[in-house]
Amino acid sequence: MSVIRTEQLVKTYESGTTSVHALRGVDLTVAKGEFVAIMGTSGSGKSTLMNLLGCLDTPTSGAYAIDGVSVEGLDRNQLADLRNQKIGFVFQGFNLLPRTTALDNVELPMLYDRRGARKRDTRALAAAALDRVGLGDRVDHQPSELSGGQQQRVAIARALVTDPALILADEPTGNLDTHTSTEVMALFQELNEQGITILVVTHEPDVAAYAKRIVEVRDGRIRRDQPVRNRRSAAYDLEHFEEREVA
Amino acid sequence: MKSRVLIKLATQSIQKNKLRAALTMLGIIIGVAAVLVMVGVGGGARSRIRQQINSLGTNMIVITPGATQQGGVSQGAQAFPNLSLADVEKIRAEAQNVTAVSPVIVSRTSVIGGAGNWRTTINGVAAEYQHIRDWPTSSGDFFGEEDVQAGRRVAVIGSTVAQNLFPGEDPVGAEIQIRSAVFTIAGVLAPKGQSASGNDSDDVVLMPHTTASQTLSGRSFLPQILASAASEADVPAAQEEIRTLLRESHGADDFTVRNQSDLATAAESSTRVMTLLLAAIASISLLVGGIGIMNIMLVSVTERTREIGIRMAIGARGSDVLTQFLVESVVMGVLGGLIGLAVGFAGAKLLGHFTGWETVISPLMMLIAVGFSAAVGVFFGYYPARKAAALNPIQALRYE
Repeated sequence: MSVIRTEQLVKTYESGTTSVHALRGVDLTVAKGEFVAIMGTSGSGKSTLMNLLGCLDTPTSGAYAIDGVSVEGLDRNQLADLRNQKIGFVFQGFNLLPRTTALDNVELPMLYDRRGARKRDTRALAAAALDRVGLGDRVDHQPSELSGGQQQRVAIARALVTDPALILADEPTGNLDTHTSTEVMALFQELNEQGITILVVTHEPDVAAYAKRIVEVRDGRIRRDQPVRNRRSAAYDLEHFEEREVA
Repeated sequence: MKSRVLIKLATQSIQKNKLRAALTMLGIIIGVAAVLVMVGVGGGARSRIRQQINSLGTNMIVITPGATQQGGVSQGAQAFPNLSLADVEKIRAEAQNVTAVSPVIVSRTSVIGGAGNWRTTINGVAAEYQHIRDWPTSSGDFFGEEDVQAGRRVAVIGSTVAQNLFPGEDPVGAEIQIRSAVFTIAGVLAPKGQSASGNDSDDVVLMPHTTASQTLSGRSFLPQILASAASEADVPAAQEEIRTLLRESHGADDFTVRNQSDLATAAESSTRVMTLLLAAIASISLLVGGIGIMNIMLVSVTERTREIGIRMAIGARGSDVLTQFLVESVVMGVLGGLIGLAVGFAGAKLLGHFTGWETVISPLMMLIAVGFSAAVGVFFGYYPARKAAALNPIQALRYE
């Protein structure tokens, strides 16, 4: 079963008398365990696509099913539940709750889970997720006490903790320096090795080169969809980081 | 979400903005405190009036001639010579709910003795009068039944009369002259203070009614008869009994039987209106406090738009966001209400201490005050919370 399957996805924004055709028919299928980079310049429609794939918005026409669940006809509450259960978000600006500890931030999605979070030990699960991203010793730190890379790793732990079908990362390295970006991509590669499906939206070819497959969007349509031939290993790049900088 | 988690989230967010939350709650605190102080002062005034009226004797029944309307009617009523000593004897002998009965012969004249003379009210009464009015003596004794039977020239004087005729000395055993008769002072009455109608109760001379009718008036009819029932609960039955007896002997309803609680009720209802008025004015500040909560919650929703976006992205439903903000404003309302309760309580006590006014705040009133401030939190928090819940997650996430 595909994690993502879209058919002729169309999104049109009406603003007054003019219509903006953000997506003009996108067919995209992502299987379990894939690591996909969606590329495109601003205005290409990649943000619209990411909002639709993230169940933050509904398409004007076309079909979309995530992990076998069709979003057609779902209301606001059902979309919220779907986001909670199927998707882990990682944003460019980290989007952690300020003045809230790392542990509380990671615990948050489980508190909104309506399926039976009451029975689980949400504190322990949150601590385990932080451990998984290498921040087991930072549970009581607030975002302002953490570096950008650490904040993004807290955000990744928050995305992981609900065990989602898909991690959706929107420009996850946009606010980070090169070294920290490589660290974050190394974490994504490691998680992908463990079988987690990851979809990264980016405009940086360097970042996309760590994915297994690149989908390029332009003018609301998919222009290119191909596997990465010379896939880079972020872990290797980190080891040889200084040589690269010199070169 | 669990309610425990919701309350935790709300208190966390209040703690993150301590000063702002404190200032917001100040409106509620002042409102609740003001209402409590006003109601406390009003309640105190009511209980003071109740005490004053009780000091007249709550079991007391007043019988006056003439079928008059309730209220001050003594001048007109005295014109009707309907009540007589025979009526007193009939009530004393036949009314089972009446424990004591006394005629009251009223006269106003000068008393000469000691330091000079003093114009005062002379009341000719029976020995039971002391029991009916529940009026102890501060020195000496009240005259007895045999003094009344024999028509002896003895008198009991009020404390105001004692102070004016015998300043600084004990008048018991001294003599006073009223008209042409000389009376021996048997006792001095304990001070009773102002009556409910504002007269000085202590400016009075009491003497046996037999003596009074011989030396003062010579008239055979009575302007007033006082009686008392065994307890407050027996008063209505005693009143009815007296009415029946007098109707029998008079053959007409030419008298009025009243009790003290009628008077108490009238006085209390006027202070109740006053209290309500004060509380209504004070509750306006509670309303202003509520608007303060709404204002801050609206600011808070705008300021935390991104937070709301994050919560929605990771799966919060609109109702989750609504509940979170609503709980926040209710917690502020209740917290403000509780602090206001403490402040109002202390304020009422302080006011009582400095002004000498008694203040009474009932537990029910406290419960209403805190409940009302919680309701203010819900009412004024709902609109901002709904605004937060209706946000579009995409736009909220992009909000800077």
